[in-house]
Amino acid sequence: MQAVDGVDIELQSGEIHALVGENGAGKSTLAAIAYGAVKADEGSVVAGGVVGLVHQHFKLIERLRVWENVLLNREPRRGWVIDVAAARERVNRLAATYGLAVDPDAVVETLPVGIKQRVELLRELDREPTVLLLDEPTAALAPSEIASFFTTIGALAARGTAILVVTHKLAEVIAYSQRVTVMRAGRVVARHVTSETSADAIAREMVGGEVPALAARGSTATAPLLEVRGLSARSATSTLEDATFEVRAGEIVGIAGIEGNGQTALADALAGVVPFTGELRFEGDALRPDDSPASRLRRGIRVIPQDRRHEALVLGWNVRDNVVLGRQRTLARSQYAEAAREVIERFDVRPPDPEATVGALSGGNQQKIVVGRTLAAHAKLVVAYQPTRGIDIGAAVLVQSRLIEARNAGVGVLLISFELDEIFACADRVLVIANGRFAGSFDRATIDRGRIGALMAGNV
Amino acid sequence: MNATLAAVLALLGLTLVKATPLIYAALGGVVSERSGVINIGLEGILVAGAFTSVVVSGATGNPILGALAGVVAGMALAAVLAFAATRLGVDQIVAGAGLNIAALAAAAFGLVLVYHQPGASHEVPALGNTGERVLIVLAFVAAAALQFVLTRTPWGLRVRACGEDPSAAEAAGINALQTRFWAVVIGGAIASLGGVYLSLAELDLYSDGMTAGRGFIALAAIIFGRWTPLGATGAALFFGFFAALQYSLQRAGVPSELMQALPYLAALVALAGFAGRVRAPASDGVPYVRP
Repeated sequence: MQAVDGVDIELQSGEIHALVGENGAGKSTLAAIAYGAVKADEGSVVAGGVVGLVHQHFKLIERLRVWENVLLNREPRRGWVIDVAAARERVNRLAATYGLAVDPDAVVETLPVGIKQRVELLRELDREPTVLLLDEPTAALAPSEIASFFTTIGALAARGTAILVVTHKLAEVIAYSQRVTVMRAGRVVARHVTSETSADAIAREMVGGEVPALAARGSTATAPLLEVRGLSARSATSTLEDATFEVRAGEIVGIAGIEGNGQTALADALAGVVPFTGELRFEGDALRPDDSPASRLRRGIRVIPQDRRHEALVLGWNVRDNVVLGRQRTLARSQYAEAAREVIERFDVRPPDPEATVGALSGGNQQKIVVGRTLAAHAKLVVAYQPTRGIDIGAAVLVQSRLIEARNAGVGVLLISFELDEIFACADRVLVIANGRFAGSFDRATIDRGRIGALMAGNV
Repeated sequence: MNATLAAVLALLGLTLVKATPLIYAALGGVVSERSGVINIGLEGILVAGAFTSVVVSGATGNPILGALAGVVAGMALAAVLAFAATRLGVDQIVAGAGLNIAALAAAAFGLVLVYHQPGASHEVPALGNTGERVLIVLAFVAAAALQFVLTRTPWGLRVRACGEDPSAAEAAGINALQTRFWAVVIGGAIASLGGVYLSLAELDLYSDGMTAGRGFIALAAIIFGRWTPLGATGAALFFGFFAALQYSLQRAGVPSELMQALPYLAALVALAGFAGRVRAPASDGVPYVRP
C-alpha cells in the first residue's frame, strides 16, 4: 500500500500553508519526503534552499544542554575544541531574533514542554530554512501557548519562509493559515484559500462524507460512585498532588490538561498499579493502595489505558481472545465466541472476523476492541485515558458515542484527554489539571474555554 | 620516618599500582558506554592486551613494541564487539560475554602454542620501573584528557548524543553507527593498556587468570563514577585502595581468603548503595537500527 500517491503540493515563500487529513491520510509521510527523511518512489521535491522539519515528537536529546541540542553537529569551534561562549551567543542571538527566549545552558529534560518546542524550533531556525515543515506543532501546547506560537510562525513567514503546518486541528487551520490542502487515503482531495472555506467543509472533505453525529445525551439520575480525597501519587512520567473530586454514576467527568501534568499518575492510582496516599472510596467502600488491580476489576472499575498496543492488547492474539482477556474466569469457554461477536457488532470492528490477529488491525479498530471489552464487562466506573488518540474521526465518534451511551445507562466515566474538543463534546463536568494539581472545575453549562485554557497553562 | 608513616605511604603506593589497570579498563568502558554500547568485554580486552604484549615482547625482545601490539589486539577485540553491536544489532551483553570467554580461552590455548606449557608464559623483557611509572601517570592524564574530550570537543558531543538518543543524533546529520563503532574501538585501545600494565609493567609474564575479574570491577567503577572519566577514575582508586589494603592486612595476620574478597566486596557494597541513584546514558546498551 502506498502512504502517499501522486501528490502535488506547492508552497509559496511567506505563507503558512496547512496540510490536513485524518490519521493515516499520508500527511506525515509527505512531510518526511519533503524533508528528505523518506525517499519517494516517484516524483521529486524542489526547494529553493534548506528545508527544516519540527517533529510532532520532539527530536531533542533530553540530557544535553539547550545549546548542545540546537547546534549539534554544527558547533562553533576554536581549533578542535567547541567554542562554548560563541555557541551560547549564537543561541541567544537566534532566540532574540525570533522572540523565543530560552536559557542556552539549561538541560533540556528540566524544561517544560512549551520551552522544549522552542528549542526544537531554534534548532531548525539555526539552519536558516527557506521551507519549514511543522508536524502537529501544537499537540503539546496549552491554548494560550498556541496563539503565541503562531505569532512566532507568522513573523517567520513575514521574513519570507514558506511554512507547512501538518495538523488535524481545524480551528487552528482556519485561524492561522493562508491556504489549506486536504488529503485523504494518500491523495490530495481539495485545495482552498483558507478564507474561502470553513472548518465544517474541510472536515467533510477529510472524512469523505458527512461527519457522523455523536450519540445523544440522556438525562440520568446520578448517585455518588467514586469519591477521591487528597489523592497523591507518582507514576513514571507524572506526579499528582492532593486531588479531591468525585465521579457520580451516570456522568462523564472530563480531565482537561496538557500531557504530563499528572494524568498518568491519576489513572495509574485509580487502576491500582502505583502506590498512592489519600482516600479513595468506591460505592462507599475504601480502596486501599495495596488492593490488587484484579480486585478493582471485580468491583467494576475498568481502565482504558493510554497505550493500547502495550497496555491493553496482546497483539499476536486474535480478536476473540483479546475480547475475552480479563474475563476468562467469569465467562465459560462456550461464551467466548458470543462475547467476541457482540463487541465486533456493537463497535463495527473491521474486518468482522473474531479470528483476525489484532496486531494486523488499524489503530481505530484496535481501540474499538479495547473500549468494547471494557464496556461489555459490567463496568460501573470507566477511566478512559485518551480513548481516541490517533484514530480516525469515524472511529473516534463511535468510541465517544459508546461512552456517552454507557453514561446514559448509569456508568460513571472519567475521561482524561488532551483534546479539549473531545472533553467539551462529551463531559458533564470538566476538571482542569495543571502541574499535578486540580486547578478548576466547570459544569457543562458554565464551561469557559478561555478560562480553561489559561488554567491548563498554569495561569491561576 | 616512623613506621606508621612508611606503612601508609606503602599502602598509597600500592593503591596506585592496583588502581591503574582498573582506571584504564574503566576509561575504555566509559567511552564505549557514553556512545551507547555496553562493554561487558572489558575483561577480555584486558586479557588480549596482557597476552599479546607478552608474546610480542618475547618474540622481538622489545617491550615497547609488545605494548603497542597489546593495544592493537585490544582494539581488534573491541572492533569485533563494535561490529556486532552496530552492524549486526546483537544483544551487547551476550556479545561482550562471548568476547570474554573467547579471549580467555584463546590466551590459554596460545600459551600452549607459543610456550608449550599451560598456566603461564616465560619471563619476557618488561617495561621496568620507569615504564610502570609512565603508565601510572598516563592513566591520570588519559582520564583528564578524556573528560575534556567528552565535554568540550565536537567528537565528544557526538559520542554523548549517540549514547543518549542515536535517532536524534542521526536527525542532526551524525552517523550514529560509525560514531559508536569508533568509540568502542578507541575504548578498546585505552582498556587494553590496563592489560599491558598487568603483564609487562607490574610483572614480566602472562599467566592464566591474571586479570582476575578486573574488567568487571571496572564496570562497577563506571557506574560508581557516573559514567564520567574522572568519576570512574576516582572509583577505580577506591577499589584499588581495597585491593592494596588486602596486602597490608594479610601481613597483619587476617586470613588471606577473606582479604582477597575485599575489593569485590567493596564493589558490591558501593553498587548496592549507589546503583539506584545514578542514570546510565539513556540509550546505553540499546542497539540502534536505522528506520
